[in-house]
Amino acid sequence: MAGVNGDPAAETGGDSSETGVVVDGVGKTYDGEGDPVRALEEVSFGVEDGEFVCLVGPSGCGKTTLFRIIAGLADATDGEVRLGGLPVTGPTTDMGVVFQEYHLFPWLTVEENVGFGLDRSDRSAGERAARVDGMLELVGLSEFRESYPKSLSGGMKQRVAIARALAVDPTLLLMDEPFGAVDAQTREMLQRELLDVWGSTGKTVLFVTHDVAEAVTLADRIVVMAAEPGRVREVVDVDVDRPRERGDPAFGEHVARVRELIGAHR
Amino acid sequence: MATDIGRELDGNGLRTGFDLDGPRRILRGIAGIVGFLALWYLVSLTQPAYVLPSPAAVAKTFLEELASGTMTAALWSSVRHWIPGTIVGTGLGVGAGVAFAWSGLLDDVTAPLVRTLRPVPPLALIGFAIAWFGINDAGAAFIIAVGAFWINFYAAYGAVEGVSKDLLDVGRTLGVRGDLDMVRSIVLPASLPGIMTGIRTGLGRCWMLVVASEIFGVPGVGREILRASNNLLVDKVIAYILVLSLMYLLVDVAFRAAQRRVLIWQA
Repeated sequence: MAGVNGDPAAETGGDSSETGVVVDGVGKTYDGEGDPVRALEEVSFGVEDGEFVCLVGPSGCGKTTLFRIIAGLADATDGEVRLGGLPVTGPTTDMGVVFQEYHLFPWLTVEENVGFGLDRSDRSAGERAARVDGMLELVGLSEFRESYPKSLSGGMKQRVAIARALAVDPTLLLMDEPFGAVDAQTREMLQRELLDVWGSTGKTVLFVTHDVAEAVTLADRIVVMAAEPGRVREVVDVDVDRPRERGDPAFGEHVARVRELIGAHR
Repeated sequence: MATDIGRELDGNGLRTGFDLDGPRRILRGIAGIVGFLALWYLVSLTQPAYVLPSPAAVAKTFLEELASGTMTAALWSSVRHWIPGTIVGTGLGVGAGVAFAWSGLLDDVTAPLVRTLRPVPPLALIGFAIAWFGINDAGAAFIIAVGAFWINFYAAYGAVEGVSKDLLDVGRTLGVRGDLDMVRSIVLPASLPGIMTGIRTGLGRCWMLVVASEIFGVPGVGREILRASNNLLVDKVIAYILVLSLMYLLVDVAFRAAQRRVLIWQA
């Protein structure tokens, strides 16, 4: 089966004219004991190349299930996800994945964590070292390269996780509530930094969050989901110039609009 | 992006490894030993030597055995089957534990077998040790290896089962493909703390098994203990028990030091 899985260069087929990420009619049913549970129903939306899209919704709307399907870590019951026109059939290094709980490898130093994915690519040792240096600089952790994750704060750990995900040069950065476990002050700092990284690397970003203000701060467009079963309620364009200020009336309007969409269907 | 690292580090980054209780603990430990020896001495005054010899009598026997060369010969003999038994049992136990915990197929195939063999005490296998290896170091090593195997098997099995599924997911998204790569680059390092705890427990257990492994006539520290017991030479029994304790202590301290170095990344 043609698809994005491990070694996309060897794959053929698919629609080569399609770019970005396309979530096409994705449905998910869990067959447990008793009645099967419909977690996702006909979820469809796209993310253009270089675009920053946030996915928000009430708890239980299947955000995390959808995230895992897009990342290739879970299978969809119906529909498919395509990356650059090719169906995603498993985890791929074309996507850099960042989780809420960092999930750094505790036995590796910061530097080794960042280089982990590079060890499996066909880059030379020199390229690898240069790439790790670049990533550490990008997230401002060069002087902590030999530290182990245990000695880092939450914000620093998440920077390492972002650097590790970006190191293999994926086309898409996929993030699941990445700033949910840090304090409010650090979160705002990380948001600014992520926008800088996005600006300097031009990556496509799909960012899952339950924090509406965070989505309005970051996104070009916000995909608002509804629960039971999880589905797309509406896609909201955020027409506010960056950098966005929370005091800006336009910012407040967008937050109110998205909150209404989420709340209206609870 | 390094806007505020200093502030974050102050929060929970730096840890000091200062242990003010250290000297006090050592003093209390010494007090405990002295108290125990005093109690032992007092009780020994009321008992004949074949029930409980005094600490001084045991020390005298210890030095005599050491001077005559009997003790070092016995220890050397025990070490000759302790080392291969421990290494083989530990290696096979860790290997099987990791493999069975990781592979659902292997686990399914072996689960009934494991449950059947697990309750068999190593001592019960003495007949096999004699039949397969003979009354020699190999036979004794076999008994020790069986004991080491199960401890390490369960420790490694549990450690691998406890590896975070999220770390495996992260590995997949970073290009880890295939069981071998996954086990080598994520499963083994992640389960290393649990595996090393098992090895440490096993090392101690193997010194205990030295006595059992020499029950059928292989010379060594255990043999000396058994022979002295039969002749009611309690001072000699205690002297050779002390040899086992000292060996255990030596190996345990060395292994703990190695463990701390290897697991330097651990919180």
